[in-house]
Amino acid sequence: MSDTSVAAAEPASAVQAYILFAVAGTTYALKSNDVVHVEMLEHVTPVPNAAAYVEGVVFSRGQVVPVINLRARFGFERAALTLRNRLIVVQHDGRRIGLLADESREFTRISDAAIRPPQEAIGGLSGSYLEGVATLGERIVLVLNVREIVDTVPTAVA
Amino acid sequence: MSNSGQDRPFAASFMDDYFAEADEHMTAVRQSLLTLESAPASATPHAVLEELFRSFHSLKGISAMVELREAELLAHQMESCLRALRQGTLTLTGERFDVLVDGVRMLERVIAARRSSSPPPMIEPVVEKLDMLAQARDDASPSGGGSGTAHAAPNSHDSAGARRWRVTFVPSPQLVERGVKVDTVRARLLQIGQVLTVAPKVVPGGGISFEFDLLTSNHSQLDQWRDDGLTYEPMDAPPASEVERPTLDLTPAGSSNVVRVDLARLDELMRLVGEMVVTRSRLEDTLRRVESFVPFQEWRALQDHSARIERNLRDLREGVMRVRLVPVSEIFRRMPFVVRDLARDSGKRVHLELTGQSAEIDKFLVERMMDPVLHLVRNAISHGIESPEARLAAGKPPEGTIRLGAATVGETVAIDIADDGAGIDLESVAQRARALGLMADGELDARMLLDIICASGFSTRDEADRASGRGVGMAVVRDAVESLGGTLSVETRAGLGTTFRMTLPLTLAITDAIIAHVGAQIFAVPQTAVREVVEVDASLLRAFEHNELMPYRGGTLPMIRVSDLFSLPATPRARYHAVVIGAGQTAIGLIVDRIAGQREVVVKAVTDPLIRVDGVSGATELGDGRVVLILDVAALSRTRRQHPRAITGVPA
Repeated sequence: MSDTSVAAAEPASAVQAYILFAVAGTTYALKSNDVVHVEMLEHVTPVPNAAAYVEGVVFSRGQVVPVINLRARFGFERAALTLRNRLIVVQHDGRRIGLLADESREFTRISDAAIRPPQEAIGGLSGSYLEGVATLGERIVLVLNVREIVDTVPTAVA
Repeated sequence: MSNSGQDRPFAASFMDDYFAEADEHMTAVRQSLLTLESAPASATPHAVLEELFRSFHSLKGISAMVELREAELLAHQMESCLRALRQGTLTLTGERFDVLVDGVRMLERVIAARRSSSPPPMIEPVVEKLDMLAQARDDASPSGGGSGTAHAAPNSHDSAGARRWRVTFVPSPQLVERGVKVDTVRARLLQIGQVLTVAPKVVPGGGISFEFDLLTSNHSQLDQWRDDGLTYEPMDAPPASEVERPTLDLTPAGSSNVVRVDLARLDELMRLVGEMVVTRSRLEDTLRRVESFVPFQEWRALQDHSARIERNLRDLREGVMRVRLVPVSEIFRRMPFVVRDLARDSGKRVHLELTGQSAEIDKFLVERMMDPVLHLVRNAISHGIESPEARLAAGKPPEGTIRLGAATVGETVAIDIADDGAGIDLESVAQRARALGLMADGELDARMLLDIICASGFSTRDEADRASGRGVGMAVVRDAVESLGGTLSVETRAGLGTTFRMTLPLTLAITDAIIAHVGAQIFAVPQTAVREVVEVDASLLRAFEHNELMPYRGGTLPMIRVSDLFSLPATPRARYHAVVIGAGQTAIGLIVDRIAGQREVVVKAVTDPLIRVDGVSGATELGDGRVVLILDVAALSRTRRQHPRAITGVPA
């Protein structure tokens, strides 16, 4: 491990833990601090008149949790649910929200130095939910900003 | 205060209530401020601002009632600042935050001074600073900041009500896989309090654990993290700050067999009972499935046990519910002050009669019914009761009477607010309604009256006096009652008076519901709202403009298809089921594919903005772990009210 093992002293250490997951063939990362847990899901109840990217609601540990379909949120075609799908339950501003990913099996540590701001790397982004781009060996990982994903966006429907 | 001698013992007991309630609000305020302080300026959590706003709004109201003007004024200023923050015209900087903290400090001092009957502190400088803050815009520099008043961050000794807990976290590979590590745990604990120390410990088996010394007043939050390897217990020594606080003994002498219980603990019990109800219905489903595989005798025995558990659960649920019930007098006993004040201000003579004070209602409902009842009482005085001269001229006694009554009727509680005043002048209401475009020409039907006076924008404008405050109109009253699953009705007779009646469910957590299928979706409709279930012959439905009507009890009933409301795919059927909700002019029929029966369901709140949609009031499950949405009957019948012409059936 790194030499920043003094757990109590520094809140923003140079290396942070991330949950990795895949949506439409691309790997994304969320800070593990934002993630409450990851679970499998069987049935999502659709919520009428909710935003298009809201898949519906599930019970997660006794709580009613909205499910955001990340494919829809990122502008991809929806896909049928399979056993590989994972619900990543995140906590933000007192809310609990489930993010539906194609799969999620990895947990890793990424050094802050390995993450570059997105504008440096890519242009013409559709949303501001991208916090940075990390390169892990050969792989490119898009680091997401939880707040931007879960905040309600005005829908085009009047 | 100008108390006459006979009022004093009553007023004294009322002040105790005031202090207790003010304490509750102040504790919530301090907690919210701590949360605010730790949030970055760019990301002020909206929910926290809402909560603060509500707390100050309540503080303003109760302070006005006990005529503690300094507290009323301070709370009012804080409310204005929060409104600006909430609306985003102001962002929170360190200096501005300090002004808020000063305001809270001063409010505490004012209340403490009244409690010890000492003269109130000078509030003017703080009020002025708050005022400038409320006026400030982001482009202007915050004023009053550099006045050199020294104040410590509020996290040192302001966290009154907080206790120290020893929180133990045992990490494991499974937890790490779920993203739960000591850093996660620490971050979470920091959200709800102060972490004083962290110490790693070697546990007997050779593993490791972390012990956090946590100062928090929100330890119930810890329960949510039990699955994540957290255990906690109180530290023996109370923190120093608790010793410094003046404590208020609320237990009346001699009633040592009374226990005060935190509402959150009762909620937890209710939740557990709810889970058991769900588990039992799963058991029942399983029993039904295995009936053919199990010898009849054995199956019979299982069935008997299951039935007994169900009865026990009903009793248990009822028992827990009873603990949550408090007498309606909690609402009523504040009214004499309001009535006395308003009567004096308006030059009217009013006598208040209270009945049924021992009727009981859920604590949760009591807190939310306070404002609506207050509003109706104020209305009764300012609009109902006439001046003594007018009353004498009408041949009535010069003193008017307001009767506040409560009664338990089955699973509901009815609260009546009745006055013997002039009654509502239907003709002038009709004129105004026509002027505002709320109704077509023609007679005002007495049954439409409530819809008209509850239309937002109808009542509030030109009565922004002290009595009606900031325009909490009848619309808000009706919304409050309906959002709690209740109904509001009115009856008025010219020259004889007006009676408003609120009918509320005893409790909210568990309710009986009708289970309805629409296409592939299942919905639950709270039974208290349902008048009856009818079968609908599709060939009898008649389209009328963009409504459908069905013959019903000699008249017609407007029908709404749930599949239309929610844009669900629908296959035409020859026969449908419909639930009839509402009464009189607001009655509608909700068309569903079929009704699958009636069940006891556990109501869970749907709070996240992503899934708060019109027409859905909550969620529940029926035993298979799937979410079933509960229809918001009040909102659905409001959809109808938005077209009053359609209600009256009078073409425009």
